[in-house]
Amino acid sequence: MRNFSICAALLSISLCGLLNADEQLSMSDSDKAMYAEMVENNPAAMDIADGEETFNRLIGEEAYAKMLGVKAKDLPKYIAGFPRFVKPAGKVVTLAQTLQMAMADRGQNVPKLESKEIVTMSAYVKSLANDQKTNIDVKANKQMKEMMALGQAVFEERRGGRGLSCNSCHSPDIVGSRLRMQPLPDLGAKETAAAGTWPAYRMTQSAMVTLDKRMQQCMKNALLAEIPLGSKEMVALEVYVTNKTKGNAIQIPGLKR
Amino acid sequence: MERRSFLKGFGTAAACAALLPRMASAADEAKKVVGPNEMSIETAIAAITGGKPLTPSSKVSLSAPEIAENGAVVPVKVTVESPMTEKSYVKAIHVFATKNNNVRCANVYLTPANGEASFGTRIKLGGTQDVLAIAEMSDGTFLSGKQNVKVTIGGCG
Amino acid sequence: MAEMKTLIKIKPKTYAVGEIVKIDFMAMHPMESGMRKDKDTGAIIPAHYINEVNFLFNDKLLTKMITWESLSVNPVLTISLKVSGAGTLKVLAKDNKGQSVESTVAITPKG
Repeated sequence: MRNFSICAALLSISLCGLLNADEQLSMSDSDKAMYAEMVENNPAAMDIADGEETFNRLIGEEAYAKMLGVKAKDLPKYIAGFPRFVKPAGKVVTLAQTLQMAMADRGQNVPKLESKEIVTMSAYVKSLANDQKTNIDVKANKQMKEMMALGQAVFEERRGGRGLSCNSCHSPDIVGSRLRMQPLPDLGAKETAAAGTWPAYRMTQSAMVTLDKRMQQCMKNALLAEIPLGSKEMVALEVYVTNKTKGNAIQIPGLKR
Repeated sequence: MERRSFLKGFGTAAACAALLPRMASAADEAKKVVGPNEMSIETAIAAITGGKPLTPSSKVSLSAPEIAENGAVVPVKVTVESPMTEKSYVKAIHVFATKNNNVRCANVYLTPANGEASFGTRIKLGGTQDVLAIAEMSDGTFLSGKQNVKVTIGGCG
Repeated sequence: MAEMKTLIKIKPKTYAVGEIVKIDFMAMHPMESGMRKDKDTGAIIPAHYINEVNFLFNDKLLTKMITWESLSVNPVLTISLKVSGAGTLKVLAKDNKGQSVESTVAITPKG
């Protein structure tokens, strides 16, 4: 079965008009090291600085912690557990959604999830949890259990004209196969630490992108209808994907192809 | 089980095949456009050296990935061996993408106060090509280093 | 047009007089090549790129750069500085549309 997958992957590469996908077409370890080094001066650091300024102006750490019902000093660890069930919301929410809540709390106009304010603030707030281990608990309560189950269902559901699911390209048994020269990443691997490194700077787009937005981009390219940001299904998907990388350190902002 | 696996692989192929026509036409269109600062590598080198010889040298170390997954952001680092004293230093490091429409990337004029002759940045590469660095030495000589970078097409999105 | 956002980083974070540090200068800039077409209108997007960056230490020119549209969007530029003492590192960047920005960072050697 493993061989069969590789065959299918090779077929997919030749269909893309690219032949001889041998190791020569892969980045070497030293190439990878050069890219890894680039995280050190990540242009998204400017977005994070922007988010810090916005967060301190519009919300502030103290008010934010109070709304969540945690002590300010416990924030980093708490932040490392999103998406999670938040009492004032009465449901499982993402970090970005808690920023919307905090703004609503303070009687401010609530920007959209894709707005610059929420995107940069959520990156900044998540960066407060840098070096913490992702500690999402999908068994914490019945709401989380439900969202985990829904997330898995969404991840595996084949949709669109081509009947693709997230799992079509991201199931553990085809990790490392190539999609147009690009080895498919293991979403749970320590080195990719997928969920723990988003929001990340996407070099192909020269912009910082959030995890849910990235998943939408993936859906678009796979010809699937995009699941709306903030919808129950999208939050569930974030729960499922984040859980794959549980225990890996958070490093915000990431740097991606 | 086998059928599922096959479908999975085929689905992947279908997904990226769907992307291909868009990529190809974008590349064709780009070919027609000439940038405002178009310059060939021959002209650019002559403008720097004024016709003096350019000597490939191991003193100029240029590092760039051999394979770049994405032509929009390719890291390039250049270091040149030099004492960087008033008497002997590297006056400038020039970086070129030899096949871009305008091959010039950066002209970096150093001083001994830099302490070491180094320059790092990220460049756009229109396709597979050599990246060339020229070091302009204080004694009036020109040394060079280069590396080929293969630009590949990335995955979905 | 919004002000150009910039960031300067010194590496390593602590250093002594006589040591060589790396200066990373980053700017938020579209670095338009003048060769891209607008997806909707088909019109060529005019070139818009940072074309000069000057690094000064205590107002003395350290490094002058002439830069071109081949630099990546949101460019990062790294050079070295041999720390001769405390002072201010200033970076002046301007683009081909005449927009300019000045950013500074303190150089504070330990000991």
